[in-house]
Amino acid sequence: MDETEIHDLADDADYAAASQQGSSIMSGNDTSNQNNPIDPENAETVYMKDHVTIHPSQYATVRISGRLKLIKQDSLLFMSWMPYTGQTSNARLSDRDKNLYTIRAVSFADIRSIRRHTPAIGWQYVIVVLSSGLAYPPLYFYNGGLREFIATIKQHVFIARSAEDANVFLVNNFQDPLQRILSSMELPRALSSSSFTDSPFSDNQERLEDGGSRHKRDISIQVLEKFSLVTRFARETTSQLFRENLFDDIGTNENKKNNQERPHEIASNEAPIPSDPFELDKTSLVWGKPRQPPLGHEEWATFLDSEGRVEDLNALKKRIFYGGVEHSIRKEIWPILLGYYAYDSTYIERQHFMAVKKSEYEIIRNQWQSISPEQAKRFSKFRDRKSLIEKDVVRTDRSHPFYEGDENPNVDLLHNILVTYSFYNFDLGYCQGMSDLLSPILFIMEDESESFWCFVSLMERLGPNFNRDQNGMHSQLFALSKLVELLDSPLHSYFKQKDCLNCFFCFRWILIQFKRQAKTFSYNTKEFEYDKLLRLWEVLWTHYPSEHLHLYMCIAILKRNRAKIMGEKMGFDTLLQYINELSGQIEVDGVLREAEALCVCAGENGVAAIPPGTPPSLPVEDESIYQHDDEVL
Amino acid sequence: MASRRRMLLKVIILGDSGVGKTSLMNQYVNRKFSNQYKATIGADFLTKEIQFEDRLFTLQIWDTAGQERFQSLGVAFYRGADCCVLVHDVNVMKSFESLSNWREEFLIQASPSDPENFPFVVLGNKIDVDGGNSRVVSEKKAKAWCASKGNIPYFETSAKEGFNVEAAFECIAKNALKNEPEEEMYIPDTIDVARERQQKSSGCEC
Repeated sequence: MDETEIHDLADDADYAAASQQGSSIMSGNDTSNQNNPIDPENAETVYMKDHVTIHPSQYATVRISGRLKLIKQDSLLFMSWMPYTGQTSNARLSDRDKNLYTIRAVSFADIRSIRRHTPAIGWQYVIVVLSSGLAYPPLYFYNGGLREFIATIKQHVFIARSAEDANVFLVNNFQDPLQRILSSMELPRALSSSSFTDSPFSDNQERLEDGGSRHKRDISIQVLEKFSLVTRFARETTSQLFRENLFDDIGTNENKKNNQERPHEIASNEAPIPSDPFELDKTSLVWGKPRQPPLGHEEWATFLDSEGRVEDLNALKKRIFYGGVEHSIRKEIWPILLGYYAYDSTYIERQHFMAVKKSEYEIIRNQWQSISPEQAKRFSKFRDRKSLIEKDVVRTDRSHPFYEGDENPNVDLLHNILVTYSFYNFDLGYCQGMSDLLSPILFIMEDESESFWCFVSLMERLGPNFNRDQNGMHSQLFALSKLVELLDSPLHSYFKQKDCLNCFFCFRWILIQFKRQAKTFSYNTKEFEYDKLLRLWEVLWTHYPSEHLHLYMCIAILKRNRAKIMGEKMGFDTLLQYINELSGQIEVDGVLREAEALCVCAGENGVAAIPPGTPPSLPVEDESIYQHDDEVL
Repeated sequence: MASRRRMLLKVIILGDSGVGKTSLMNQYVNRKFSNQYKATIGADFLTKEIQFEDRLFTLQIWDTAGQERFQSLGVAFYRGADCCVLVHDVNVMKSFESLSNWREEFLIQASPSDPENFPFVVLGNKIDVDGGNSRVVSEKKAKAWCASKGNIPYFETSAKEGFNVEAAFECIAKNALKNEPEEEMYIPDTIDVARERQQKSSGCEC
């Protein structure tokens, strides 16, 4: 294919230049490689294959072809892959891009495993995983030669088939948790789940070349697209996510079970549902980091110096992102997480600050509490606002023990804090949904003033959700539809066809951060148990790995339900009802994990899909004030 | 689903926060009342199968958020409505005064083809409260307003006690039906794209 492109310059100056720059990023974690250049004098090329190609974007048409080599030097075997210079299928691919993917003489001592994929139709490929956990993007053998590749390796290096998967070849040590990761690396699930037979031992490139009808080729490209999304950010993310996985106990089996239980197939006589371009539930096994137990008291102490300062805020946020916080220390951590207490304040400073803020709160509260009935008579704005709040607090979380029963003083506290807030931020005032956001905070903080200030901090982020012109909500719904387009274009087309691109059905999820998804009349059912909600919120508040993770959560939930949504041909009405009725079915940890995977996968494209200043992003002009957040943007 | 060919009548309930929109809907559809309904965020709807002159209909009742601020979302929810129910709390004057605003806002956002004759029904809710002693909007006053807006039917209701709710919704359904043009307007759930487009455009013209 593309014969004109072939001018392998592997031996000229460009090649050398590429080699020098190329290794730095892909092998960034693998320092043992970096100073391990091949000595051309002693090296012997034992295998060479042209047109081994990677697909750096979500489109199979964007590809970088190169030459794959196995090189033997002394007793060591090395693998290299060099892109051809001066030719790409797409002008957008810069030389820098190509250099990023270059594999420069990686030693098999540093390779942990090779996974082979031999679909009946389409290009065969391998995924090479290093000991460091870094995985190279899939290498597609456009001109065949995969079997030969494996066979050559076998001649020089001890490799063994994984007991769990005959297509995984373990190199060197295989008494390692990585084995389990590998066994879960079902990236191209689409291949095995399709009707194609996946015969592991046949090297069947001829089939494509000889009988490869146009139709077959199209299918193969579709299939490739499914996981090429992963390819694209492999270089950006594997080094972070995957490496960490090595040190974790991985609950892949449990997850697999969940996936199996999830209904994928629907009514067989219906037209086929466009498949998910990014087979989420499988890739999440690879990319989404397993959840951890919540941060406990003892571990929390390790984040603090002797005077109570958080030493590494980002490390703390990351820890909380992956596991949340034990209930007993939420009171201490939430104010820091929300930015009410400076993370680098000491115990003493915080105590002092608390006292100062308490009197400040009382001053603002007194502003409205001192309004006499006579004055109130002539102050309709105040009366209306207060009555709106009164109506809402008595119907906020009343089935929760903290708020249940007649004349519950905590309900009065909700009221006082909300009226005070509507004076503190008179322009925004009170808006329905705020009581839902405040109630968990009061439940945790238990103190009126502290709850107020935490709520103020939360509203710094979520206030625009309640703007009169609803622009905060509109920008989030807009971003959501862009992300659907990016991460599930068939679903996006479906929404478009059904006139659902406004994503209004996710309005409630976003406005009150997944609180009370139960239908309004079935007040006894809860989308998330309260505790799950607290966990979810603290995770979202970390703004790790994205401050817009809630949008990726929406996508993850939609993806989990896409077969049903499209299979039952839901329109705007039924979709809204269906989403509202998802009560109790959203499993926080699983969805978070998938959301993280999606977020990582979307990468820069995801960032670009979200307009600047979209809540909970701070308004663009205020950015400088909140510099400490920059790192987790 | 067997009901797919049944005619769908879409009803929107509007009114200030806390006047009892959710309660009225649930009382009518589920014959249940709870004082623990939460403030409605976004929108929800319930459906009820009704029979009228030997024909079956699906009444789709939309419950919306009462705060003015959320009105801009109405565009998404109001379209295709066959009847609009305006609710006030007879014990809260402001909720009655807001009816004009709700009505106008609805007409702007739903932009029905014939706004002059679009069917509204007004409900004065919570007549049970305090044995009627805290009532501030009299029946006479409410009826006068309804008369001034083209003889809108008026019902006094108690969602809590289920009083007059059935009768009110019967009237609402009849009015919705009057608004609905003849048989061509059946909206089956499963239709292909091309046909759906066709229907949409015919919906706009009617």
